[in-house]
Amino acid sequence: MSEKKPVKKKRLKTAEKLGELMKDYYTESAMIKSQKKPVAWLTSVAPVEICYAMDVFPVYPENYATICAARKLSAEFCEAAEAKGYSTDLCSYALNNFGSIYLNKGPFMGQGLPEPDLLIATEHACLSMAKWWEALSRHFDVPLYVVDSSLPVGEDVASYQIKYFADQLEELVEFIEKHTGNKFDMKRFKEVLRYSDQASSLFLEIAEFRKTVPSPVSPIEMFTNMFPLVTLAGKKEAVEFYKELRDEIKDLVDRGVPAVPNEKYRLIWDLFPVWYNLKLFPYMEEKGGVVVADVYATAFGGSIDISRPFEGLAERYVGNPLLSYGIGEYIELYKQMIKDFHVDGIVFHSNRSCRMASMGQYEVKQGIYNDLGIPGVVFETDFVDPRSYSDEQVKDTLDSFFEILETRK
Amino acid sequence: MTIMDFQEKYKNRHEIAKQWKKDGKKIFGYFCGYVPEELIGAAGIIPVRILGSLDKVSLADSHIQSFICAFGRSCLDQGLKGTYDYLDGIVVSKTCDIMRNMLGIWSRNIEVPFTFYIGAPSKRTEAARTCLIEEFKLLRSKLEEFTGKSIDDNSINQSIESYNQSRKLLKELYELRAEDNPPLSGSDFYHIVKAGFVTPKKEYNEMLLELKSKLTSSESSDGKGVRLLISGSTFEDVNILKMIEDSGGTVVSDDLCVGSRYFWDLIEPASDPIRALADRYQMRVTCPCKHPSDERLERILDEVKKHRVQGVISIVQKFCDTHLFEYPYMRDLLQENDMPFLYLETEDRLGEEGQFKTRVQAFLEMLR
Repeated sequence: MSEKKPVKKKRLKTAEKLGELMKDYYTESAMIKSQKKPVAWLTSVAPVEICYAMDVFPVYPENYATICAARKLSAEFCEAAEAKGYSTDLCSYALNNFGSIYLNKGPFMGQGLPEPDLLIATEHACLSMAKWWEALSRHFDVPLYVVDSSLPVGEDVASYQIKYFADQLEELVEFIEKHTGNKFDMKRFKEVLRYSDQASSLFLEIAEFRKTVPSPVSPIEMFTNMFPLVTLAGKKEAVEFYKELRDEIKDLVDRGVPAVPNEKYRLIWDLFPVWYNLKLFPYMEEKGGVVVADVYATAFGGSIDISRPFEGLAERYVGNPLLSYGIGEYIELYKQMIKDFHVDGIVFHSNRSCRMASMGQYEVKQGIYNDLGIPGVVFETDFVDPRSYSDEQVKDTLDSFFEILETRK
Repeated sequence: MTIMDFQEKYKNRHEIAKQWKKDGKKIFGYFCGYVPEELIGAAGIIPVRILGSLDKVSLADSHIQSFICAFGRSCLDQGLKGTYDYLDGIVVSKTCDIMRNMLGIWSRNIEVPFTFYIGAPSKRTEAARTCLIEEFKLLRSKLEEFTGKSIDDNSINQSIESYNQSRKLLKELYELRAEDNPPLSGSDFYHIVKAGFVTPKKEYNEMLLELKSKLTSSESSDGKGVRLLISGSTFEDVNILKMIEDSGGTVVSDDLCVGSRYFWDLIEPASDPIRALADRYQMRVTCPCKHPSDERLERILDEVKKHRVQGVISIVQKFCDTHLFEYPYMRDLLQENDMPFLYLETEDRLGEEGQFKTRVQAFLEMLR
């Protein structure tokens, strides 16, 4: 994602540093086995802070899939997974991961991810994660811990539901101690939580700058800059990175420098980028369409009450709007964002790989149109598997949307 | 009492329900076998299971994507067409991602006075059970609020008893299929189970008892078919089973959400009936949506032995993530156990018969 990024020259100084952070992380990842440090594979929205606090090296196959997609490796990996019997209809994050394991290939030093000693999954973002991790556990024959949830849809999370999640986080600590011998230290844990909390509030602060018209930061910059927020949550480096990024973007705001020169339509991007074709963003920008908001990025944020470390962390993970909001609440969230970010339209990326997050999109689009008259457009692809992608079709859909937006100006 | 009577119950379920409605009864719809029907029944409400339909999906397509399973699309489509207008409430339990989204979409578009989502945990731990108990308690109090009547422990216990009787009878009928000449075909059994989803338990239990008494004295099959176990979730089209049977298979066992997984486990009476319900719904034979779900596959291997199964046919809904993730494992496990295995992917229906028939015939040929 770093070198081959389809933006022109790197506009942001801090982007250089992002490349370094990613390189450092994946270099460490490639060497980790020789360092005898335990490796855990984590689903997204899993408590990575516990890994950092306990000297376990976290690996994110989902983030890795986005890089494989950007480096044009994902089609081959998906095919390899299908050859073993995994359906082409399954999540391509998972297929990409399986294929990379079977072929032992990847974008960094030619090899796949370092093999896990432990597997840690949540299932509240989607159930496929737990199923995928079960399959990994069988393949590598290593222990798996699933952090389960009992969550409502569209209602406040009850205290027993938080407690269930928090108690499992404590159990996860025991699980890691048992299988790695590494000891848990509360002081260290709190320090990690503080870094994670700081990184996330800085990231939200940066996202807030996008309320400025014209927006000082582009969607590609936002999406690629999520890497430390997710993968390095709990590391000091992430906090330092976001401080620098925040200062740089604040400076752009103060000086009135826009990310895109001819910003005409301000857009919300619903859910995932098309990882093998980030060029869709500059394509829209040529027509004046600039993505200024998304829940995807902010969903990985959220503050942590460090005085109650396990409950605080649980609240951060299961209070996540993207994951536990009902459709009605989702619509309300977007309506607020439309006001705050001065939004003209919403682009919904309907992702064949993600039934969980895509299934309500038509409803959200219609609901917002009914309530505010703000139009939306839905286009369908798979976010990692490019094999049935039609650039022409997607662009036609986006073009028609820009025609609608034009008539409304 | 014949199989036809069961078939008719299911076929005419909407007309029958509308008649109940005229008689002043309250009716709730529920999705899947993780909703504690006993509790709904104890509130004096008739629970009916919402299942797919073979009608063409038309209205749902503007609400959910075509990459949602045929079952989910069909259920929503029926709702949008007014097929379920008689429902006073809907209860969903957390299983797959489609179920997690379904209630929100349903209730935005289809008027229904009561909805409840059970945030059922997936694991089989004591902590998970504590949560499930809380969820069931909340459902109980919401039901009380809705009906304006309290649900006492005694009425829950009575409800449990009649559901247990259904399950026990279904299990007895199921066990008859272990015989050399099973008196019930797979498609017969399918009709029997489905009638139970839409028939009040008192009436249904009488039907089952009468059928059972007749079966033991009736003519048996010739016992020459290839003995099969069918695995999967739900499919609406009984012709899938008929085709398999017409091709020379005898379905003697199943691992279906609309089959033995539904009735396998009874509720152990306990002093606190909510706890008894939670015990059962948490520890029941697993759906692949739950974690860990190995027990489902272990049970398949047990059933293969007990019912002397010669081959397993898996019928999976296209786009059903949880079953699809487990398929390669199931295939390998059966292979290790020298159990021939055939995988069929459907969209709720048999579709063009030739497509599956050739494969089923070849599979059965190999086993003869």
